[in-house]
Amino acid sequence: MIEVKNVHKKYGRKQVLKDLSFTAKKGEITCLIGINGVGKTTIMKAIMALTPINSGEILIDGEKIRKDSFEKITFIPDTIAMLPQMRIDEAFTFMADFYKSWNPQRAEELLQFFKLDPTEKIANLSKGSMAKVNMLLGLALDVDYLLMDEPFSGIDMFSREQIAEVFTSHLIEERGVILTTHEISDIEHLIDKAVLIDNGEVIMEFSVEEVRENEGKSVVDVMREVYRG
Amino acid sequence: MKNYLKLVNFEISRFFKLYLILIGLTIVCQLIGVIRVSKGYMDLAEKVMDKNQLSVSRFIEQYGTFSVQRFVYSEWFLMSIYIGIAILIIYVFLIWYRDWLGKNSFIYRLLMLPTERITIYFAKLTAIMLLLLGLITLQRLLVLIEIQIVNSIVPSDFRTYSYGISNIDIFVLLYPNTFTAFILNYGIGLIFVAVLFTAILFERSYRLKGIFFAIVYGVLSLGVFFAPLLLNGFYPRYFYPLEIILMGMVTSFIVLGSTIWIANHLLKHKIMV
Repeated sequence: MIEVKNVHKKYGRKQVLKDLSFTAKKGEITCLIGINGVGKTTIMKAIMALTPINSGEILIDGEKIRKDSFEKITFIPDTIAMLPQMRIDEAFTFMADFYKSWNPQRAEELLQFFKLDPTEKIANLSKGSMAKVNMLLGLALDVDYLLMDEPFSGIDMFSREQIAEVFTSHLIEERGVILTTHEISDIEHLIDKAVLIDNGEVIMEFSVEEVRENEGKSVVDVMREVYRG
Repeated sequence: MKNYLKLVNFEISRFFKLYLILIGLTIVCQLIGVIRVSKGYMDLAEKVMDKNQLSVSRFIEQYGTFSVQRFVYSEWFLMSIYIGIAILIIYVFLIWYRDWLGKNSFIYRLLMLPTERITIYFAKLTAIMLLLLGLITLQRLLVLIEIQIVNSIVPSDFRTYSYGISNIDIFVLLYPNTFTAFILNYGIGLIFVAVLFTAILFERSYRLKGIFFAIVYGVLSLGVFFAPLLLNGFYPRYFYPLEIILMGMVTSFIVLGSTIWIANHLLKHKIMV
């Protein structure tokens, strides 16, 4: 389980995260929802120790992040986390060199699923293909937790469909996923838990299924109530 | 350790294309230079001797003999050295900033590697030192070739005999004769680059405010580093030379130790992507 507890963070004078807490379980897809600039990306970076927090605590399976944690949790940022001058297969070699959790069979499987050519240079890929490679580099790690920042934004419809397919496949099953989005409607059916964030605060945290069953509401319905009052 | 070596290899291969260009440029620049300078001297000798009906010894009296020094202080040689130094200094900054800037954010990957983050710092530091040593070795070989070229163009009557590089004064610093001097010169270089790296990490952690921290930190480090020499300046002949050297060693270790400790702390807890 990933526990984010009472996290405060300031950029200069601006308070970006205010006493923010939520949890994300293994085997569930947790979605951080909020408009741009409310601190969703900052939360992910904070979990990965890519940006400092002023107070609070973040635990991964009860432990603070350390070097070995990166074999257990990974982050897929919204830009590609690999050198653009590398070819896809060179990127694979790099990953295999450094990560024990790199799973070459799965990488191969994903390559075929996304119909990517491994000899292609990353810099020459289209935006959609680049997003797929970026995703692939994270998914092919045998990690327990995956953080994905806006995996669906700025890419074409078909790439989006393919990525959505991944979420319902064995590639995600059993793992814990936290993803951010400002556009919920496309992926509403994929997610287990929604965390509504505004101005660096969690305004609501709920199980999508429970709300659907008990109150007959979709995530968008809940959001409408919360944001519009 | 394994990851450290992999990262060193990785950092060097990233710079390698530019490095080859730099090496090519140095070689071309210096070879053209040595030919032009020695040909120029011989042309001058022929012209002057022909015009004024001088003997070789009279010409040498007036214009001096030809030694490799003449080439070493020519713009050809100095230019190639300055370019090399400039590119390395720029690369000290670029080796960090390139991972943040541009469309890719490779720094995400580097900081998410399952290895202590300070390893990245050590790897980049090693890469810079190896690149520097590579250039210096190249220069050493080049000078040997250049002496041969000079010898083939300028007849021995016109030459001051060159024993090798050690009597070319600007090389004394680059090619120390003793192991101790080697450690001293390159140790100081290493500390200097390490402090610069930590200063860069200050900026990368605190951004605008970090520039201020970096400057304060840099000045403090230099202050501590040069403290023994300053002391010696204020109280001349108060300390024995050996005492100054020992103090210098202590302050060097303080500066190097603190810079690594701070870099480790910044990378672990303060770095901002």
